[in-house]
Amino acid sequence: MFDFMRNKVVDVARLDRETLEVHGILDDSIYSLELCFKVNISDLICSGVKGRWLRWTTPECPRAIDFLHEAEGFCLKAGIDNKIHKTIGRKSCRHFANLFIECGHAVRETVKLLNWEAAQKENPEITFKQFMRNDETASMAESSPGMDNEKKELSSPSGTNKPSPKKTEHKRNAGSLGNPSAKKGKFVIDMHVHTSPASPCASDSVDAMIQEARRIGLQGICLTDHNYVWSAEAVQALSEKHDFLVLRANEIITEQGDILTFGFYENLQGITRLADLKKKVADVGGFIVAAHPFRGFLTFGADDVGLTPDSAMARELFKWVDGVETLNGKVTETENNMARDVANGLGLPSTGGSDAHDISTVGVYATAFDEVIDSEASLLAALKQGKYHPVVFR
Amino acid sequence: MSNNILKFAMNRNTSVEKINGGNLRSVCRLRDTFTDAEVVIEVKMPDMEICAISGYFRHAGWGEIEDLDRRLQAVMGVRVAAGMLKIIKGLMGEEEKIQQIVYMVEECCHGVILTLTRKVLLKAPDDEAGKVSFYSNMVKKSIRLYDRCAAFAKGTPLVAELEAEKAKGGA
Ligand SMILES: [Zn+2]
Ligand SMILES: [Zn+2]
Repeated sequence: MFDFMRNKVVDVARLDRETLEVHGILDDSIYSLELCFKVNISDLICSGVKGRWLRWTTPECPRAIDFLHEAEGFCLKAGIDNKIHKTIGRKSCRHFANLFIECGHAVRETVKLLNWEAAQKENPEITFKQFMRNDETASMAESSPGMDNEKKELSSPSGTNKPSPKKTEHKRNAGSLGNPSAKKGKFVIDMHVHTSPASPCASDSVDAMIQEARRIGLQGICLTDHNYVWSAEAVQALSEKHDFLVLRANEIITEQGDILTFGFYENLQGITRLADLKKKVADVGGFIVAAHPFRGFLTFGADDVGLTPDSAMARELFKWVDGVETLNGKVTETENNMARDVANGLGLPSTGGSDAHDISTVGVYATAFDEVIDSEASLLAALKQGKYHPVVFR
Repeated sequence: MSNNILKFAMNRNTSVEKINGGNLRSVCRLRDTFTDAEVVIEVKMPDMEICAISGYFRHAGWGEIEDLDRRLQAVMGVRVAAGMLKIIKGLMGEEEKIQQIVYMVEECCHGVILTLTRKVLLKAPDDEAGKVSFYSNMVKKSIRLYDRCAAFAKGTPLVAELEAEKAKGGA
């Protein structure tokens, strides 16, 4: 017997020479909704977006309809999906966004059909397969070479796959660092901070994040921008400019989830296999931490699926990491508790970090070290000694 | 112009069932004017990791994807959880031909998430007041819902309690 069923139907008709009419239905065990709009064939701009609910969940879901007009004027070319998630998904409802994305796909497929029909007028013999092959070669020639090169070339990536030379590592006088009101004489660092534009999902600049960290009394922060390597020089300049300890780290996406790396400065892109990452980091004497290992879902928790710390300890992920982030500012208490229980059960050290993407959450959680940290080398040494624990800071 | 005759039609069905040992099998089938495709995943519970995957794909213009199985096998062990889409795309590839099959893997995963969501929602009361408190508690328990859709937008009734608590606790 099926526990869940979702059906989606999308159809596209050609209203006139210039216009397509799109109609979509999503009907599943939980929701039922419909979308309808028009698309201008020449530029794929959509208009007249209308939708309605037939079944929904919360008493406030009907509000979603008022925000569907946000899609008005969207150009449904490939690559629009993210924008649909961010506008329709966030302001209206993720299920309307899901259906809208299906509709966009249907429109692009329809345009292929129309283009083939046009090509048949010149060459009645051309099959759809042949047409698609020609179309593919044409679009490959169009796309500019070197597009890959502009990825993530911000102010200061190390770019080359070489670890930065040790000599450039900055030492600072710990006595002058941060705020004297440090809690219980501990040295407190937010180990997980994102900045804009290095992390596309972050909204505040590195300067703003550092100022806020300093203002609330942290002693330092680690920059963990996603798959982005700061140069030692840039980070040292930031430390001097703000008279505040700023250290480099990284948050790398693996098939097992996000991993925080310390003492490892290779610029990795895409998805790295955790086993490969572990080897690379171990080769340069670095340290890896499982970030938010139980970050789960919006509507249910680990308890709802029957996950227990004992069963979770067996996860492949924990065989590779040197430590576990047990206080992460972006997950629920239950998810942090699960991480804590697993780390304790496995005898792995725990860290804390805000995972802040804007200044309002810098330092909500952090890691308190027993000793003064004044450089990336001393951070790494301390991480390996295990003399620290996660703290609620803000 | 025969504007009452469709140019393009699409039909997608995703279904989820419990199989032996409590794992979930999620199947996404697509039939549209050009495509006939299917992806089947098995998700190990309670870890929620993809532990088996298979599928087929035929497109009228592209034909089949030669290395489909290799692409599918690349997501073995991925956990169904927030952030999975980026991982699935990264492991399977992002070329145009691959996008539909990547989407179908994602739909299978969403099916699993919605199956578990449905179980939680079955506990929601039927009366309005009961619903308000049920969903207010849900957003309090899972802060990532806050301001992520119209129903839980800033300043709306279901997040009022959460916002009041924040105002008290913060500052
Ligand atoms: Zn992360
Ligand atoms: Zn992060």
